[in-house]
Amino acid sequence: MPKITYHHADGNQDVLDVPGGSTVMRSAVSNGVRGIVGECGGQAMCATCHVYVHTPYLDRLPEISEDEEEMLECAAAERDESRSRLGCRLTVGDELPEIEIDVPKAQV
Amino acid sequence: MTAMKPQAPSAPIADWVALDALHADPFPIYTRLRAEAPVAWVPAANRYLVTRYADVHTVDADQDTFSADESHSLMKRAMGHSMLRKDGPAHQRERKAAGVPLRPNQVKQRWTPIFRRNAEELINRLRPGGGAELVDEFAAPFAARNLAEIVGLPNASARDMRTWSQTMIDGTGNYANDPDVWARAERSYYEVDEALDEMIPHLRANPDGSMVSAMLHADDPLDIEEIRANVKMTIGGGLNEPRDVLGVAVHALLAEQRRRDRVMADQSLFASVFDESVRYVAPIGMYPRQTTREVELGGTLLPAGARLGVVVGSANRDERQFSDPDIFDINREKKPHVAFGGGAHYCLGAWAAKASVATVALPMLFDRLPHLRLDPDHPAQAAGWVFRGMTELPVVWDL
Repeated sequence: MPKITYHHADGNQDVLDVPGGSTVMRSAVSNGVRGIVGECGGQAMCATCHVYVHTPYLDRLPEISEDEEEMLECAAAERDESRSRLGCRLTVGDELPEIEIDVPKAQV
Repeated sequence: MTAMKPQAPSAPIADWVALDALHADPFPIYTRLRAEAPVAWVPAANRYLVTRYADVHTVDADQDTFSADESHSLMKRAMGHSMLRKDGPAHQRERKAAGVPLRPNQVKQRWTPIFRRNAEELINRLRPGGGAELVDEFAAPFAARNLAEIVGLPNASARDMRTWSQTMIDGTGNYANDPDVWARAERSYYEVDEALDEMIPHLRANPDGSMVSAMLHADDPLDIEEIRANVKMTIGGGLNEPRDVLGVAVHALLAEQRRRDRVMADQSLFASVFDESVRYVAPIGMYPRQTTREVELGGTLLPAGARLGVVVGSANRDERQFSDPDIFDINREKKPHVAFGGGAHYCLGAWAAKASVATVALPMLFDRLPHLRLDPDHPAQAAGWVFRGMTELPVVWDL
């Protein structure tokens, strides 16, 4: 099963084994991971599933679409030019069997 | 022998809840419902009311079980079958087409200058008077003018928009089946169609940034009936909300001098005022859902086909989610609220509302009306539960 690791600012982490096809946002919301809200349910409309992706995984991610780009500019926590993504746009599975992300200090 | 899965009990009946009491002040009723019966059958509302944050969140996240496509929907009769009462791909398709003008960059570049122009004109007209009822003379016409342009009906006056919005909303809430209410809603229904018939040939030939244009020119364009229904829903659902959050925000600032001083000293706090205002009094306080199967929610068992009232006005005051929820506090810990709903139907107008109220209207009102204050002789009033906001906000200022 694909694995997602959420690193929190206080040093704690949540590690989830999730079905292929799950997103970083949906997995967090349905498993009660703190700090990821997913207010709009994955439509790239609210910027409340902002995450910082650990560098080794960056080149395996899909391109940033126009919609995602726009929302990242509206995120509550500062955008990191290379590592910021929306969790609703990151899907784990055969292409991406595991990913580690940092949860930002604020989403709203 | 197979063990039977223990079944949750059916929802308790809250026959002590009365509609007039909800209309006057729903919050003490919500507090009691959250404590005693968080999913309750409320005979007066003819629905199960869902009042806790966690349960509202569950409903919003699962459109397969909690359908927006309510049967016998009064909204469909009053406004046509818009995306707000659809689920899944049918909803998504219409939302994708209509939502383009409401994305943050469009709001910033195209609409914010228009919001600014509309606010200027209205305030310039008010200024020499020294006093006004701010909902009727500013918040409502401001919201109406902005909405007419976003929708793509520049041929509609602010007065038309307000009449259409109110009469179609009244139809949506016409549980008493009052024929006069239906007659007024129906007149508006056809007037909106006429206004659209006037604009559509022009917008078909000359695309612009409006919603009607976006629906006409989408990769997967909407047909005329879809456009008509979505425009009516947007007129019904896009006017009260910025109007009411503006009224609540101005009242909160005028009612508490220290709060106002802090915001005047740091104008970036207008954004917090906006966010706390929609949490404190969600302009859309309740919306319907219908179960597609038997399901357990909040410790009770709901049958298939159960009609629910999702009470975001209560979820936003849930003490399990917010500390001191009945206090208006712009410094509270930032936590998600559900004033814009959540999930697939998350409010399309959220960015436009924030920009028009927090970026434009609030700073301009406090800047241009010297020593703005509540009118000591005429108390402000709030009302409503399905829709809630200030109904009277008399203010005065120095000339």
